[in-house]
Amino acid sequence: MTYKHFTTTTAALHFRVALLALLLAVAGAAGAQGNAKQGEYLVKAGGCIGCHTDNKEAAVPFAGGRALKTPFGTFYGPNITPHPQAGIGRWSEADFVRAMRHGVRPDGANYFPAFPYPSFTKISDQDLRDIWAYLRTLPPDARASQEHDLGLFFRWRPLLSVWKWLFFTPGEFKADAGATPVVNRGAYLTQALGHCGECHTPRNILGGPKLGRYLAGGKGPEGKTVSNLTPTRLKKLTDGELKDFLTLGLTADGDVPAEAMGEVIRNTTSKLLPEDLAALIAYLRTLPPIE
Amino acid sequence: MKLHKIVVAVLALGVAAGALAQAKPEVLVKQRQAAMTLQGKYFGPLAAMAQGKAPFDAAVVARNAGYLEALSRMPWDGFDASTKDVKSGTLPVVYSDAAKFKQAGENMQAAVDKLVAASKGKDEAATKAAIGGVGKTCGGCHDDFRQKP
Repeated sequence: MTYKHFTTTTAALHFRVALLALLLAVAGAAGAQGNAKQGEYLVKAGGCIGCHTDNKEAAVPFAGGRALKTPFGTFYGPNITPHPQAGIGRWSEADFVRAMRHGVRPDGANYFPAFPYPSFTKISDQDLRDIWAYLRTLPPDARASQEHDLGLFFRWRPLLSVWKWLFFTPGEFKADAGATPVVNRGAYLTQALGHCGECHTPRNILGGPKLGRYLAGGKGPEGKTVSNLTPTRLKKLTDGELKDFLTLGLTADGDVPAEAMGEVIRNTTSKLLPEDLAALIAYLRTLPPIE
Repeated sequence: MKLHKIVVAVLALGVAAGALAQAKPEVLVKQRQAAMTLQGKYFGPLAAMAQGKAPFDAAVVARNAGYLEALSRMPWDGFDASTKDVKSGTLPVVYSDAAKFKQAGENMQAAVDKLVAASKGKDEAATKAAIGGVGKTCGGCHDDFRQKP
């Protein structure tokens, strides 16, 4: 009797342990999985669609093809739909996180920094998981990614190790303890997701950012002039005017920005939640003014 | 007598044309900027309507589209080569690649013509799309030909 009782409790215990383990596993999986809905918003805040969609009328979103003409050659945004051959359908979440955080392809080769991983490296782990979850929900498209058309010297990918050593610091965004949560949120949106500095910070001859002129404008990656986002220039606009500009794509007197920014406004800044847009503006106000 | 009249007419035309050609570069810049400013004035409210930030008003759209049709033709002769050295927001490429600049201006005029046509119809969505099309051609030209503030 006693013996029997013992076995029953052991069996029950085993069962409970197994059940608990199962529950934990399910909970763990749920916790690790990204939220596609949130990811959709983050993809807008990251402006991914701009480079990863051709600028033709009937282009499939995220199926790649957009040309970026730089002094180093022309880069073509690749297909990031989950198509197994043409897109990134065979990637794991870890592959994606590594690409964004470290600028490395699943096969270990370096990405050209035309893919703005020096900014995306700052995106938080959770946001990366959410973005990945959203990208998995896109309809797979078979459009083949196009080879970049680069100068003879620049197409040699191992050279990128040197570039990365010089100009790339991997790692998540770290909040500034001295700044308000709103300003930190704005800094995260500007530096990480929005990758504003990729165009608004001028580059040196090696294509590295001139950090002393962060967001101070000058020549953009395609050789066009870009605006200074530091208070030197922005102090001329009120928060309301900036908000209107970044949602409508229009200044108070009906002036229209260059289409390079017009597109960013349509794809990204006009899609930001009002509190995120306000945070972004609040952060820009705190930048050191640069002439 | 008849010949005399013709000579006078030709002379008068010559003087008129000469007067145009002699407009000071500074004046040409001021005039073309005025045309741009007024385009902003009449385009701004339409852009707000197209994006749902202001209530859609078909009558205002039709009126402004008509104004824009004329205004969109006005700035271009103000970019005369004589204005090259006058301080303004233009980039040197306006003068060095005049053909490309002309094309950009024509793209905008074509987009405005589309808007004029759409504003005469009853299709609000098509009109809003046409407004967006005009905005893109404005920005498309500013991309390459205007300095950023």
